[in-house]
This record gives sequence, C-alpha cells and structure tokens, in this order.
Amino acid sequence: MNNRVNPGFKKELQKFGMSEQWNECFHCGNCTAICPLSENEVLFPRKGIRVIQMGLKDKLASYVEPWMCYYCGECSETCPRDANPGELMMTLRRYLTSVYDWTGMSRKFYTSKWWELSYILFFALLVIVLFLIYLPLRPDAYLMVNESGGVMLNHLVAGISGDQFIRIIEFGDWAMAIIVAFILVSNILNMFYKIILSNKSFKVPFYAYFTEFWRLIYNFVTQSKFSKCDDKNYWVGHMLLMTGYTTMFILVVVALPAFQTEKVVDWYNWQRLLGYYATFGILFFLTVVTIGRIRKKDIKLQYSHSTDWLFIIMLGLTTITGIVLHIFRLAGLPAATYYMYILHLAILVPMIMVEVPFSKWSHLAYRPFAIYFSRLKQVALSKQYSTGLAPAI
Amino acid sequence: MEEPRIGVYVCWCGTNIEKVVDVAEVAKAMEKLPNVVLSKNYKYMCSDPGQDLIIKDIKENNLNRIVVSACSPRIHELTFRKTLEKAGLNPYLLQMANIREHVSWVHDDKKAATDKAKSLVAAAVTRVNHHEELQKRTVDINPATLIIGGGIAGLTAALEIADAGKKVFLLEKTNHLGGVVAGIDQSFPYFDSAQQIIQQFIKRIKQHENVEVLLNTKAENITGYVGNFKMPLPMLGIDAELEFGNIIVATGLKPYDPSAIREYGYGYLPNVITSLEFEKMLMSGKIETKDGKTPEDILIIHCVGSRNKNCHEYCSRTCCMTALKFATQLRSALPKANIYQAYADMRSFGKDCEELYLKASQKDIMFLMYDQQKYLPEIRRAPNREKCEMLVEIEEILSGDMVEVPADLVILMTAMEAHEDVKDVARTVGVSLCGNDFFIERHPKLDPVATTTDGVFIAGTCQAPKDIPDSVAQAKAAAARVLSSIDVGQVEIEVTTAFTNEDLCCGCQTCISVCPYKAIGFNEENRVSVVNEILCKGCGTCSSACPTGAIRTRHFTDKQIMSQIEGMLSMTKRKSKKTELEV
Amino acid sequence: MEFQPTIISFLCNWCSYTGADLAGTSRMKYAPNIRIIRIMCSGRVDPTFVLKSFREGADGVLICGCHPGDCHYHEGNYKCLRRFKLLHKYIQQMGIHKDRLRLEWISASEGRQFADLVDNMTERLMELGPSPIKEIMEIA
Repeated sequence: MNNRVNPGFKKELQKFGMSEQWNECFHCGNCTAICPLSENEVLFPRKGIRVIQMGLKDKLASYVEPWMCYYCGECSETCPRDANPGELMMTLRRYLTSVYDWTGMSRKFYTSKWWELSYILFFALLVIVLFLIYLPLRPDAYLMVNESGGVMLNHLVAGISGDQFIRIIEFGDWAMAIIVAFILVSNILNMFYKIILSNKSFKVPFYAYFTEFWRLIYNFVTQSKFSKCDDKNYWVGHMLLMTGYTTMFILVVVALPAFQTEKVVDWYNWQRLLGYYATFGILFFLTVVTIGRIRKKDIKLQYSHSTDWLFIIMLGLTTITGIVLHIFRLAGLPAATYYMYILHLAILVPMIMVEVPFSKWSHLAYRPFAIYFSRLKQVALSKQYSTGLAPAI
Repeated sequence: MEEPRIGVYVCWCGTNIEKVVDVAEVAKAMEKLPNVVLSKNYKYMCSDPGQDLIIKDIKENNLNRIVVSACSPRIHELTFRKTLEKAGLNPYLLQMANIREHVSWVHDDKKAATDKAKSLVAAAVTRVNHHEELQKRTVDINPATLIIGGGIAGLTAALEIADAGKKVFLLEKTNHLGGVVAGIDQSFPYFDSAQQIIQQFIKRIKQHENVEVLLNTKAENITGYVGNFKMPLPMLGIDAELEFGNIIVATGLKPYDPSAIREYGYGYLPNVITSLEFEKMLMSGKIETKDGKTPEDILIIHCVGSRNKNCHEYCSRTCCMTALKFATQLRSALPKANIYQAYADMRSFGKDCEELYLKASQKDIMFLMYDQQKYLPEIRRAPNREKCEMLVEIEEILSGDMVEVPADLVILMTAMEAHEDVKDVARTVGVSLCGNDFFIERHPKLDPVATTTDGVFIAGTCQAPKDIPDSVAQAKAAAARVLSSIDVGQVEIEVTTAFTNEDLCCGCQTCISVCPYKAIGFNEENRVSVVNEILCKGCGTCSSACPTGAIRTRHFTDKQIMSQIEGMLSMTKRKSKKTELEV
Repeated sequence: MEFQPTIISFLCNWCSYTGADLAGTSRMKYAPNIRIIRIMCSGRVDPTFVLKSFREGADGVLICGCHPGDCHYHEGNYKCLRRFKLLHKYIQQMGIHKDRLRLEWISASEGRQFADLVDNMTERLMELGPSPIKEIMEIA
C-alpha cells in the first residue's frame, strides 16, 4: 500500500461533491463522539477527513467507514469549524463508488454532467426507437378497450399477441437485471479485494465469512443501523421508499405477467394494492427530500450534487409517468396509454442503467456488503488483539 | 534592649497551607513558648487586612518581635519587613518560618506536616528572641548602566536609557550589533521587515552621544555592588575601568545545532537547513536547493531541539509562528509548490498569531502531526528513480498512519538555547541560572525583570525563549527599573554584613584568608581584623572560620542559628530507645 | 511506631534553599523528617552548628550548597567542603555514623534532586536508628 502523501488529491475529490470545507477540520473528534453509529474499530468521520487531508488514496480505497454512515447530519451540526463531516462522508461514498467501479463509467458520471446526460439520452432514445420501429402502435388500437372500460395494455402493439408482448418486455427486464447484476457483483468483488484482501494488517478467519453473513441479509432488509440514528423519521421515510421500489421491482421483473394483466383488475386485488403502496412510498419520500433540498434548512439536504438532482428527477418522472399511464389506462385511452408506456420506459430504463450500477442507487448493494466487510474486519482484529498480534488502527 | 515580646502569626495561605497543616494547632502550641505574647492564625497574612492585623497587635500589645509562619521568605520577607517598619519596629526584628514550600506543598500526612510546622515555627520563635535592630545603609547610584549584549533587547534597553539622558555602556562579544534579529528577513505575524527595525536601532545607537558601544568585549571580572559596579577593560590599557550603577543582562540566545538529531541528517543531507539558514535564503530572494533547482516539495519540521527530553524539554515559543510565516512566504514565492508542516502541537498564541495560523491554513498547506516524544520524522535521500531529493517518514498521529512525504527542501525549526558562555556571565554578575541555563528572575510573576542580585536586571531571550515584542517589552521594563533607581539616586543595601569585636580578635587573620571579596583588612597597630562593610556581601564564611568568635555576621550570628537549632529540636517528640554506639 | 529520624539541614539561600522552594512549588512529595535552616552561604556552616544539632538530638545533619563553581559568593562552598571533610572524620571518632552527616550540592533548579536526597537520607537514618548522642545526652 502506497503511503505517500498527495496534496493534489483533494482537487480530485472535489469533483465528487463538496468544496474544500473539510480542510477546516482541526481534529477535535466531536463528530466521531456524537455519531451514534461510530463504534470501536469503526471510527468515523474524523479519521476519514485526516486520510483525505493527507491524500492517502490507497488507504481511502480500503476505507469502509463511509458506508456505515446514513447521513443524519449530527456531526455537521456539532462541528465547531463547520467542516461538514456528514457531507464529506456523502462525497466519499460517491468517490468510493467510482473506485469500486472497474468500468470507469461511475467516475465519468460523477465528474461530468454531460457524460451522464448523454448516456441517459442514449438509452431513452434507444427505447423509443426500438418501440417505434419494432413494436409500433396497431392501427386499430382504439378497439383495445375491454368491457370495464380499461385499456388492454398488452394488445396495443401491431403484429404480436399479448403473451408475446409480455415475454418481450420480460426479456428486456431480465437482460437489464443481468447486466446490472453483473456490474454490481464484479464491483463488489473489487470492493472486497480493496477492503479485505489487499489489507495486510489483518487476516479474516475463514469461519467468519459464514458466521457474519446473516448481518448482510439482516441489514439489507431492516437497515437496523440506520434506525440507530437519532432522526427516526428519516429512517421511516427511507424505509417507505426502499420497500416501495423493492415491491415495484418484484412486480415488474418477477411477477410481470401477473402485474401487467390484460384486464384492469379491481382495486382491492393484491396487484393494485401493492402497486399503490409502492407508488405512495416512493412519491412520499421523494417529495419530502425534494422540498428539503430546495429549502436547504436541514443540514443533510443543504448540499445537492448534480447527481442527487438527476436521481430525484428521474425517479420522480418515472413515478409520475407510471401514474399517468395508469390513469390513461383506466380512462380507456389506448393511444395515449401506448405513448405514455414508451415514455415511462424511456425514463425508467436509463435510470436503472445509470443509477443502479454506477451511481447513487448502487448503495443498495455496497452498503450491506460494507457492513458485512466491516464486521469481518472487526472479527479479524479482535481475534488478533486476543492473540497479541494487533496492528495499530 | 527591653524584654522580647513576641507575636506569632500562622498563615493559611487560603487552603495552600491550611489543608495539610493544622494551623490552629500550630498557633496554639506557640503560645506556651517563652516570651510569646500572642499567637494567631489568619487566612492571608500577606493581604492588607493580614498586615494590618500585625500592625494593630504591635501597637496594642507592645510587641517587639514578630514571627510570620507562611510561605518562603524569598517571596514575602520584604513584605513583612515593611509591615514592621509601618508599625514603627525595626524590620530585622522579623523571622519567617516557611511552612508552605517546605511543608504543606511537599507533605501529605497531616499529622507529620503539623509536627514539622510546629518545629519550624518554634525555631523561628527561639531565633527571633536574639534578633537585633539593624540600621539600613544607603549608597549613591552611579547613573551609568552596563548592558551586556547587543541584540534587540540590549539595543532597546540602551536606547531607552540613553534617550533619558543617562550614560550606557553596551557590551557586545561579537564584532557587530543586531544579534539574531539581524539574521531574520521578516517578522511574524505582520510580515514587516525585521531588517528595517534592527538597522534603525543600530544606526541610532551608533550615533547616540550617551551610548558607548564596546564590540568584541565580554563581561568579565565585574566587581562591586548595586549602584557601584566596576569592570576592568584590560585591552584598553592597564587602568581602564568601566564604572556603572546597574547592569542589564541581555545576552540572548543561540540556535540549537540539529546535527545531534540523527533522524534529520542535518550536516550530511545538503537540502536539510535550519530556520535561520532559510531566513538567509529569503533575504537573498532565491529559494532553491543546493543544486540550484526550485524546490517542488518543501517540508517544515517543528520542535527541532524543543520539547524533547533528549534535547530541551521547554517550548521555544517562536518556532510555530515562524514556521507559519515561512509557509506563507513560501506560498507567495512558489504558488505551485507542495508545502508540508510536520508539527507536534501548533502553539500559535499571542496577538494576531492564531489569525496567522488561520490564514496560513487556508493557503493549501498540509499539516502533519507527529509525536515529539516518540518517533521523530526520519529523513533519507530519495532513490534515483524519484523526482524529489528526499523522502521523509512520519508517523502521523492524527491518523495513526505511517506516511511518506517527498521533499526537495527540509527546514528545521531549531530551538532557542542558552549560549555556552552564559555561565561565565552569570557568575560575574552573581545571578543563578535555571536548569536550562536561562537566568532566573527574582519572581516569575511579580518581578520578572529583576534578579536576586540587586542592580542586575535581565531582558530578552537570556531569561527564556521569547519573540521580538516580548524581548522589547522586557528590555523596556528593565530600562524603566534602571531609570527609576537612577532617579531615586540612592539605594538601600544589604546590612547583614560582618563586623569584628576587636576585644575578642586574636589577629590570626584566618578571616582575611577566607574572604572572597577582600573586604577584611588588618589593623597592624591594634593587631585586629577590620571589615570594610561596603565591600562585604554577608556570606558569613569568616564567622564560621573565626576561632574566637570575634567576627560576627549580622542577622546570622552564632547565637541566632544555635537558638534556631534548639527551637527546632525542642518540639520533636523523642522516643527513648537504647542503641549501641556505632562506628 | 516505626522510628522517625529528625534531620537538621543547612541550606544556602541562593541555590539549595531556592531548590527546596522549587520542590515545593512543583508539589514534589518527600519525607517530612527534614527541618530546614536558611543560611546565606554554605560557607557559613560553622562545625559547631553541626555538633550542636547532634547534641540537641538530631539524627542526621544535611548541608547543601551550590554546585562547585556556582557559589553566589564565588567560593563559600569550597570552604564548606574543606571543613566538612575534617568534621566528617571527627564525628566518626565521636561514635556518630558517617552517613548521619552529609554535604550535597543542590542548585536552584534541582527540586527533584532535593526531594530524592531527603527521601534517601531519611531512609538511611531509619536503618541506622536513633542517634547514639541522644542517649548520652539523655534526650528521651
């Protein structure tokens, strides 16, 4: 591990978010003291600030702590120098995402708006063009309204049956899921190498990989660490959002044939109820965050990176087009439904392709794994302590 | 003289004495001693009400001897002597017992401390019985002043006194004036030119009619006493002699030689330089390595020789600010360079100095903290493949990481230390040095420019490391003290000198052989020794050498000390225990 | 109760007494067995002071002066040293153990050394027990 100091590193980090505010830090450690999540051997945020001030790039790449932070903002409020450690942790998560990403796309998206926008535009156009050329609107689409007045969504395309249409969309879903999963998994392996394997100061005992694995699942589902932050409302809001899009994900990827049905089922059917819940969950938290980011009262929402706004806009537009699509369908407007469907996908697809593997949304994978890895590290270190081989941490 | 009537006062010193010594018990025990009229305890004897209490008691009870049992007589003996004077008593009828520095601050056991205090106060009581009235003597003050050292402190004091119309002899052991400040480019925190300041001073001094500058001259063989010192100038002829009434010691400092610190490689790594060498570089306007390259990475190491038990344990007080000044100057001279500071603690105290730190920290400078007590940064030559000249390993303690810093130029912020020959100066002016060879002031807070030797004052870094404003302030304070003593014109001198009882003197002349001041002459006619009380400084060596007890030292007579021994042992409880004679 | 010796000590005003004061201001703890008498110079220590102390029941006597070369009065400490050498032989002939009388150099900055010296001497005197002179003088 190269331990050469690098004064130029901070310039590089600045591209990922905040300005040089953290240079104000004089290492009183109040941030670490106030943080409800910082604990023995996983101390942050002060130590991370130090690593950045000195520009120790390799050390930072193996630094798991930023993922332990859920940005409640208490450290930034407590900081006597206004060095804003919370925002720094956020910036570091962006930076680390780009470090784990071997394709280099993440770095491009975080450091250049134009790259990201072109990428999104490309996928949006791809969806639109594919639809218009290969899945055009059938001329007699106006007939595709069933007896209850709803649009028969799967029958709007010329030349193919409803089943075929569902299969095509399902194929698209799975193709996307596989690409995204491949990138995420390879990045997590990269992260594993940087945090655990390349660090020679400790060795993880083999059994720990199994005994600690439950934490990964447990934290993914409950986000119990997040709930330890003092601001519980934020955890509830985030939980609504997370369960919202998990539900939606299951509905559109795993259960598409049951969800995107021929006929509009009655409102009390599970598909519709789950769909409404997911829409509400996403929209509610999104609204709260959007208002917060505009008002800039809450310290954790004061600083918005361009990618934060892009994520909000994409997710917001996806949700809104989804709702409008649903309304058009209920209102029995086949052509409008068709075009809204294309628009919905033209926003959804680029969003998934950019956010999940390369940008903000990737934390859904990195965070639980980071918790897992940090536990592995703690187990290794405490074992070394008890055998007297402890390195300085 | 009338029968002694003794008043005993036991001071609490707030809780300083009271929390360890049972002051009431001590006061009560004294009541039984012969000639003790009253014995009291009070919270603060040195306070105005405390002193008023003594004065009132003296007047109401016709007391004629006072024992104050409080702190060290080195601190408040003069205070209480003045109290006695105010009450119309001779000030030498006082005896102090030191139950703070020698009892309450050094012992924890209440019982043992109280017993010890009793024995010390009892000794003072028995001693004070034998005190005699001594009459003060005054001598005229020679209005000329000797200033030792031509640095900023010496120059300031010289100008201050000379401007007041008094004669000044300014001794400088080197061949030029200006001292260390003459080697400094700009001063912190305002970046004004140190050169301008010092050159102006030197110019004025050289032209001043009241100042006689003696270059290449050391202070040696100073004799005499306050008001009437003398120093021979052998190089100017056999009889040349300086006469002066006061001395200001301003011998300054010497930069620490960092070649003793192995880790820094000073001396064999060409681009490791000291702060003063860097000042020269700044003055020349060219910041470059030994090969003439512009440095890209510059490391400034703090606390070189300071705050480390292997060098000096004290803080040199100016290096942090000088380092910040360097960083600021470097940043404006080399905008693209990487500047690093390896520091132990940033001690940027003083007016506008924290602001200097703040400003410097906004100039893209990397601050690295190292443990001055444990691992010093280690400088080594960089291998050829590296772009930089040197690599420095630092155990950075804010992160706990071992980091490597590239460097083309390393500036060592060297400590201030005393000159090697300061001991000679101290001896010739009769002032003690502390463990770090800095001059000891009379009182660290209440009298920081005077020394325990009357007529000798100290200014500048010979007293402790300090910056230019502090040196100038102390120099001006010392000058003011000198001027006020010249203005009074006369000074009271120590009256505790020796004198002979001619009836007892056998004329053996032993006293003459032991006197270090040649203060004892021999009267051939009467065959007796005679003390010249002007020259006598009252050490008492003659008294202890005299076989007949003819020569006595006032205030330290045999009788007084013997009675003190008796008093001291009278209070000690003894246990009878048979022992055989030891050989 | 354990035997507690009493030490009479003569400290010169300029170095040793100031050193003892420094031990106080630095709050260094030492044995409470010492009783300090201030004199201007160790050269003032008359042998009779030492003999008087033993006669009055001291278990030990400690004389402290400036380090050689540092005497405020140039050479008083050397004078003291000369007398001490003779006196040291003399007291042994009187049956007083040599460790009961010590001459040490303590400078104004050596508070620590002073405290250690007192502890050290007290310890030694506790080993030696009470001074034999006490019995002769019938000091009970």
